[in-house]
Amino acid sequence: MDEDWEEGSHRLTSPGEPLTSSQAFMRGHGTYIDNEEVISSVAGTVERVNKLISVRAVRSRYNPEVGDLVVGRITEVQPRRWKVDANSRQDAVLMLSSVNLPGGVQRRKLESDELQMRTFFEEGDLLVAEVQAFFADGAMSLHTRSLRYGKLRNGQLVTISPALIRRLKSHFLSLPCGVDLILGLNGYIWVSKHVKQTEQEGEEAFDAEAVYSNKNDDIDDATRLAVSRVSNIIRILAAHFIPLTDTLLLDAYEWAVEQEGDVKELLQADTGDAMIATIAARD
Amino acid sequence: MPRPPSPSIPEKEFLYSSLKQSLRLDGRNPLEMRTPALTFGPELGWVECALGKTRVIAQVDAKMVKPPPERPLEGIISIHSELSPMASSEYDSGRPSDEEVTITRMLDKVLRRSDVVDKESLCVLAGQRVWHLRLTIHCLADAGNMLDCSCLAGIVALRHFRRPEVEVVGDEVTVHHPSERAPVPLSMHHTPYCLTFAYFPDATILPVLDPSHLEQTLSAGLLTIALNAQRELCVVQKAGGVPLAPDEILRIVGIAVDKAKELDKLVEQKLKEDWAGRTVEVR
Amino acid sequence: MSSRVEILNDGGYRSDGRRQYELRDISIDTSQQGSADGCCTLRHGLTEVLVTIFGPREAKMRSQTLHDRAVINVEVNVLPFSTGERRRRARADRRILELAATIKSTFEPVVQTALYPRSQVDIYVQVLQQDGGLLHACVNATTLALICAGIPMTDFVCAVSGGVHSTEPLLDLTMLEENDLPHMTVAVMPRTGKVTLVALETRLHVDRFAEIFKLAGEAGQALHKEMKRAVRNRTSRLVDAMETSMKQPVGGERDVVMEDRMDF
Repeated sequence: MDEDWEEGSHRLTSPGEPLTSSQAFMRGHGTYIDNEEVISSVAGTVERVNKLISVRAVRSRYNPEVGDLVVGRITEVQPRRWKVDANSRQDAVLMLSSVNLPGGVQRRKLESDELQMRTFFEEGDLLVAEVQAFFADGAMSLHTRSLRYGKLRNGQLVTISPALIRRLKSHFLSLPCGVDLILGLNGYIWVSKHVKQTEQEGEEAFDAEAVYSNKNDDIDDATRLAVSRVSNIIRILAAHFIPLTDTLLLDAYEWAVEQEGDVKELLQADTGDAMIATIAARD
Repeated sequence: MPRPPSPSIPEKEFLYSSLKQSLRLDGRNPLEMRTPALTFGPELGWVECALGKTRVIAQVDAKMVKPPPERPLEGIISIHSELSPMASSEYDSGRPSDEEVTITRMLDKVLRRSDVVDKESLCVLAGQRVWHLRLTIHCLADAGNMLDCSCLAGIVALRHFRRPEVEVVGDEVTVHHPSERAPVPLSMHHTPYCLTFAYFPDATILPVLDPSHLEQTLSAGLLTIALNAQRELCVVQKAGGVPLAPDEILRIVGIAVDKAKELDKLVEQKLKEDWAGRTVEVR
Repeated sequence: MSSRVEILNDGGYRSDGRRQYELRDISIDTSQQGSADGCCTLRHGLTEVLVTIFGPREAKMRSQTLHDRAVINVEVNVLPFSTGERRRRARADRRILELAATIKSTFEPVVQTALYPRSQVDIYVQVLQQDGGLLHACVNATTLALICAGIPMTDFVCAVSGGVHSTEPLLDLTMLEENDLPHMTVAVMPRTGKVTLVALETRLHVDRFAEIFKLAGEAGQALHKEMKRAVRNRTSRLVDAMETSMKQPVGGERDVVMEDRMDF
C-alpha cells in the first residue's frame, strides 16, 4: 500500500481512513495518529515527502504561509491595527507599523497617525498585502510596505477557492487587453484597469494622496467591458474547478472576444461549458 | 454574560487522579447515587427533592378546562420549569442556555411523552371538561445533576398528587371538595426514573453515576437513561461527548436497570410513609 | 397503539414496500452553493435536509471565542412547508433548539477543533422535507458538509434510526412508522465502531433496546460505505478537474511546464 504514493498518481482518501503505520512514517497536516496508525482526517489527496505523510483537502479555507500575497478586506479598525478578512480561519492583522505612511517611507509612527487611521484604511476597503508573520494563535500579520501593495481601486473583486490559485513567479499579472490582475493566494482576485508601471513606481515621489485615495480614476467603457469579461471568465473557470493560469485566461479571453457575445452571456451554463471545452482542446 | 470560570488546573488534576483510583471527592463509590431526600409539603402534590445539595421543588395542581378540539378525550399536562439565577450564578435569565433546553426537553420526554399519566383518565366530560395538570418545577440549588433531581421531583409529585373526586350526572359536573370526598390519585402507567452517568476524557476512568457539579463540568460527555422498575427504557440520551463502545452502553443500561429498582423501592416507601401520616387529616 | 396502516404485513413487507432491515434510498449532492465553504443536500427517502458550513472563520461574538479551540455553532431551521401540515415554527422552539444542541455536541468531539483556536465553525441546517428520521438525516448531512468544507474530523459520523414492531426490529423509519412505534437514533463512528449519539424517546424494553442498538450499529457501517463513496466521487471529480483536464503543473515539484508562460 505504501508503494502507491511513489507513482505520483494521487491517492484519494477520506476522514477515518488508515494510511500507514505511525512507526515508519511521520504525520503531517490532515492526519492524526491513533493506535500506531496514521489516519486521515480530511478528504483529499495523500502526499508524501520522505517520511512525512500529509493529506491535502481538495477545498478548504486559505492556509497562510509567510511571504504569500493576499488580497483582503478591512473589517475593523482597532487601536494601532486593522483587522482584515482574508478568507482564512481568523481575520488577519495589519499593524499600523506595517503600512507605508505619508511623508516618506521610513519614519516613526506618531500619535497623529494613530488618530487618523481611518484616513488610510476604513472598514470595507480592499487592499493587497503580504503575509509577514504569524501570531502565537495562528492569526497572520500582514504588511503593505512596498509600493506595489496597499489600497485597491479601479476594479472589482472576484472570490474563488484558494486551491485554484497556484504559487506563481509573480502574482501581479498584466493582460494585453488592458486589465491588471492581482491573484491573492487566499482566493481573492482583484481585476482592475491597467496602470502604467512608471506611474505606479515613482520611488521617490510617494504620493500619500494617491495611494490612500478612495476615488476611482476615469475608466472608459472598453476597459470596463474587459474587466467584467475577465471577471466572468475567472468565475467560470472556478465553477469548473480549474486552476487559474494566465495562459488559460488569455485563451479564454480570446475565445470570448471571438464569440462577440454580450459579457453577461458568458455566465450562462452552456456558454461556459463551450468555453471550457474549447480551451481544454487547445492545450 | 461572561462564561463562568472553569475549574482550576489543580482542582481538575486532583479530581481526575482520584477518579482514576475510583475515589470520588464526596466519598461515594463511582456507581453510587446520593440518596435522594424527599420532603412532602402540607398540600398534595408538593414535593421537595434533594440530591446532596441539589434541591428542586415540584408542585402539581389541577384545574378544569375545555379540551382542544383535536383531542377531546384527553386531559392536558403541562410542565413549567425554569432555571433561574437562584439555582446557580451560571444560569442567566433571558435566552435559554443549552443546559436549560436539555433539562426542559428531558422533563417533557420523561414525564409527558412516555405516557406516565393516563391522559384519558383525566377526561371528565368528552369534549367539554378535562383536567389540566400543571407541573411546576423550581430549581432551588444546583450542585450537580439537576436533571435527575428535577425528574425525580416531578415524578414523585405526580405520584403524590390527588385530584378532587368529580361526579357527572348528565351534563352536570360536580367537583367534590376534598373534605367531602377523598380525592383520588392519578392513574399512572408507570414510574420512570432518570439516571445520569458522566464520562471523562481519560478512557481509563470509569463512568460515575449522579455526577456532582465539579464532576459534571469536568466530564467529557453525559449518558442519561430514564427507565422504570419494569425494565422499560423511556429515554436514552447520549448527545455527543466521548464516543463509547456499544458494549459499554449496554453495560451501563444494565446497571441503570438495577439502580432504577432500588430507587423505585425507596420512593414507594417514602410515599407510603407520607400517606400513612396523612389519611387522618384528609377526611 | 393501533393504526390504520399495517406497519409490517405477513409477507414481511413494510407500508412502503421495504423489507425490515432495508434502508431508504439515499441521495447525496455536495455541489457548491453560494459562498459556503461546504454544503450537502441529503435525502433519505422523502426526508431532505440541506446543510451549509461556513468556517472556520473569525468568531462573530468575541465573548464566545475559546483560546484553545474553535467554537461550533449550529442553527437549525425547519421550513414551514416541510411537513404535511403547513406550520411555521418559532426559531426558539425547544424541539429545534434541542436538535441543534444535539448536532453540536455530536460533532464537537469529532471535529478537530483544537486546530483552529479562536475561530468559529457555523453549521446551518435547513430541513426541507420531513418524513421520519430527521435527526439521522441531519447528522449524516452535517458529516458530509463538514468533509466538503475540508474541516478535519477524526472520522465519519453515520446515524441510523431503528424501531420495533411488536418484536420485529425495523430500520430507517418513515414518519408513519415513527408515529406508531418505539424508535431510536444511533450514530456510530465506523472506524472504531464506537457510538457518539444515542437518542431514544419512546418506551422500549431493555432487551429490545439491545437488539435494535446492535442492528443500527451495523446499518451505520453500511451507510458509511455509501457516504464514503459520495465523498470519494466528489474528491476525484475535483482533483481530475484540477489536474488531468488541464495538464497543468501541480504544486512546486514539477515546475518544468512553467516555461509555457514565457510565450507572450
